Amino acid sequence: MNTQRRQEITTALIFLAPFLVTLAVFFVYAFVRALYFSFTDYNLFNDPTLVGIKNYTDIVADSLFTTALANTLLFAFITTFLQTVFALIVANILNQKIRGLAFFRTAWYMPSITSSAVIGLIFLWLLQRRGIFNYLLTQFLAYAPVIGTLALVLVAAQVVQVLIERARRLPASWFDPALASVSALVAIALTWLLTSLGVVGVRDVPPVDISYYATTARIGGVLPVPLATIIAQNTFTTVPTLMLFFLAGLQNIPRALYEAAEIDGATKVQQFTRVTVPMLRPVTFYVITTGLIGTLQMFDQVAIIGAAAPLAQRITLAYYVYSRAFAGGVSEVGLATAAAIVLAVITLIIVLLQRRFFVADEAQT
Amino acid sequence: MNKALLLGLSLLALGATAGAQNVTIKINGYAGQDPAIVSDLINRFVKPQVAKDGITVTYEPLQGDYNQQLTNLLSAGNAGDVFYLPGETVQPFVATGRILPLNGLVDSKAFLSNLNKTFTVGGKLYGIAKDFNTLSLVYNKDLFDEAKVAYPNANDTWTTLATKLRSVRKALGNDYYGACFVPDYARMGAFALANGWQPFDAQGRTNVQDPKFKAAFDWYTGLAKDKTVVQPSDLSTDWGGGCFGKGNTAIAIEGNWITGFLRDNAPNLNYGTAPLPKATSGKRGNFLYTVGWAINARTKNKAAAVKVLNALTSAQAQQYILERGLAIPSRTALQTNAFFKKTTPEAQNASVVFRGASDGNVVTYTAGRYNLGEWTRPINEALASVLSGKSTSAAALQKAQADLNTLQKR
Repeated sequence: MNTQRRQEITTALIFLAPFLVTLAVFFVYAFVRALYFSFTDYNLFNDPTLVGIKNYTDIVADSLFTTALANTLLFAFITTFLQTVFALIVANILNQKIRGLAFFRTAWYMPSITSSAVIGLIFLWLLQRRGIFNYLLTQFLAYAPVIGTLALVLVAAQVVQVLIERARRLPASWFDPALASVSALVAIALTWLLTSLGVVGVRDVPPVDISYYATTARIGGVLPVPLATIIAQNTFTTVPTLMLFFLAGLQNIPRALYEAAEIDGATKVQQFTRVTVPMLRPVTFYVITTGLIGTLQMFDQVAIIGAAAPLAQRITLAYYVYSRAFAGGVSEVGLATAAAIVLAVITLIIVLLQRRFFVADEAQT
Repeated sequence: MNKALLLGLSLLALGATAGAQNVTIKINGYAGQDPAIVSDLINRFVKPQVAKDGITVTYEPLQGDYNQQLTNLLSAGNAGDVFYLPGETVQPFVATGRILPLNGLVDSKAFLSNLNKTFTVGGKLYGIAKDFNTLSLVYNKDLFDEAKVAYPNANDTWTTLATKLRSVRKALGNDYYGACFVPDYARMGAFALANGWQPFDAQGRTNVQDPKFKAAFDWYTGLAKDKTVVQPSDLSTDWGGGCFGKGNTAIAIEGNWITGFLRDNAPNLNYGTAPLPKATSGKRGNFLYTVGWAINARTKNKAAAVKVLNALTSAQAQQYILERGLAIPSRTALQTNAFFKKTTPEAQNASVVFRGASDGNVVTYTAGRYNLGEWTRPINEALASVLSGKSTSAAALQKAQADLNTLQKR
């Protein structure tokens, strides 16, 4: 090795040093230490002694761990699916030339820059048993006859008008805006008439009394309701960030492809599924990967809900690790680190599988 | 800056002649209302006693989960010289080896023996109870009057109390309930104790399938079947006292803390206090909730810490706390205090709560050597699933026992 080469390496190392040191201390050292603790009986106060794989067999026997594992996988897959789909749709909407685009882009991005702790508290408040969400549901049910009448008349008037137009051999779409406004006027007038005649009116319904947190109910017998609220909340806060990636990806798709598709007679939907989606596959891979890693490690929103929901209905692996390591008085660091290692291995496997099967081509390039 | 101060002070101490100490004793305790109360105690009773010895006292409340914070501080070596030692976590904290045994340093004879037992592990005393609480039954006199049902009293059994609650509900209609019961061992457990159940057997194992436990469990959850008892979330609150304060429930099973809550939140509620109902065996059961003062085994100022601890638990300090209606004192001598003979609802409640500590099967609220949350979780989940009608008590208790067995095998 000549002097110049050695100097180059030294320079590179010096420039890399801040990053390498951080990596070594906070990642390599921490990881190795956690791995070591996972095979010991360490509890913050004793001198760790090796106990073999006891911690691993203990967590497998712990029903809270299996619950946390099931919750984590459910949460990760559902949330990643939802946030990817919604981010793609929103990015598409915001990629068009519409009036007030800057405003909409900013508005949509708001949830992402708001602290997730704050959003968690707002959700807790909205979803209280006597909260706004249940209140709106109650109001909707109370006004259901009126809303139903309005909707029925609107659809009926529209269908009649379109059929008349078509009978006159005029090209009328089912969603023709001019006819729709006439239908709307008819619907409003008729509903108002029926309401004032007392034919339809506001019903007396008992207040909707759904408990979103203090419940052991499961959606479809699988997904705990409190976890579902966290999914909704997490999707709400992560969609905007992922949308930005898709938006950047969309700007890189050549217009020519759409023009060609349009000339070939592709509809908007076909253009989306045949041009946009395939062209975005590298971005989608990135979005799904970061989404999976992020959701597998979800912790904060579970902690915010706290004792409002039963532990088994909200616990995730990251929270399990925390609750074992930092429980009052009894710290089972060995158990906690074993669970953390399991979480790391699961994350790695899922990302590798996804890379292997779903987007193989792009991942290799 | 604190360190610089300490360094300066210790240098001063080194230079000064023997006897004149200049030390700061740091106290850790709960946040919430406690900083105001403890500061008051420090100013009134501790400072006058220890100032002449050159001891300064500061109080540092720990925000959030106290046990968790204290664990972290102790493991990092940053905990105070004197701190709260909650009765429910005595064993785990003593096991860390960071709590100083007080034998020979502090005289514990003046304190209730049940409380000293709570802080004794392996024959050594690790804390002096600062105060305590037990459960009592508070009842809404107006609701019972309106329903023309006799008030709960010291002769009530589970059966007669249930009948009274059902009669109140029958007379007053569906907007009123007998009580709010929480799915929590901290309340239900007291009934199991009354029935003679013991949280830990001779081998230190817990059996929730014991018929004595199951009978209490069935009584507690059985009242929910016809909605005589509902859960606090049904009335948009999070504890039994919350329901009671709204005036919708005839009784609440709570400790002396409910009086302060009612004073602030339902000042016009006309209430009385009775002891918990007796089990079929004719005995009562109760939990002893207590927090003690303990000393950090690694404190650099042991003598000063002991002085501060003694001042904090002095008879004058406890009398002051009692008369302010803040807590029930732990000194035996104070049970004849005039305060307990007053006829105000608050003093009557204090008196029932005080006597609860020695009436029937009384056990400290604790999970022994286990983490409290983890040990109570299987029981609480069983309660929740049966109270909400999702499971039968036999199935729920079987699952709880299986979870407890896994925990106990670790």
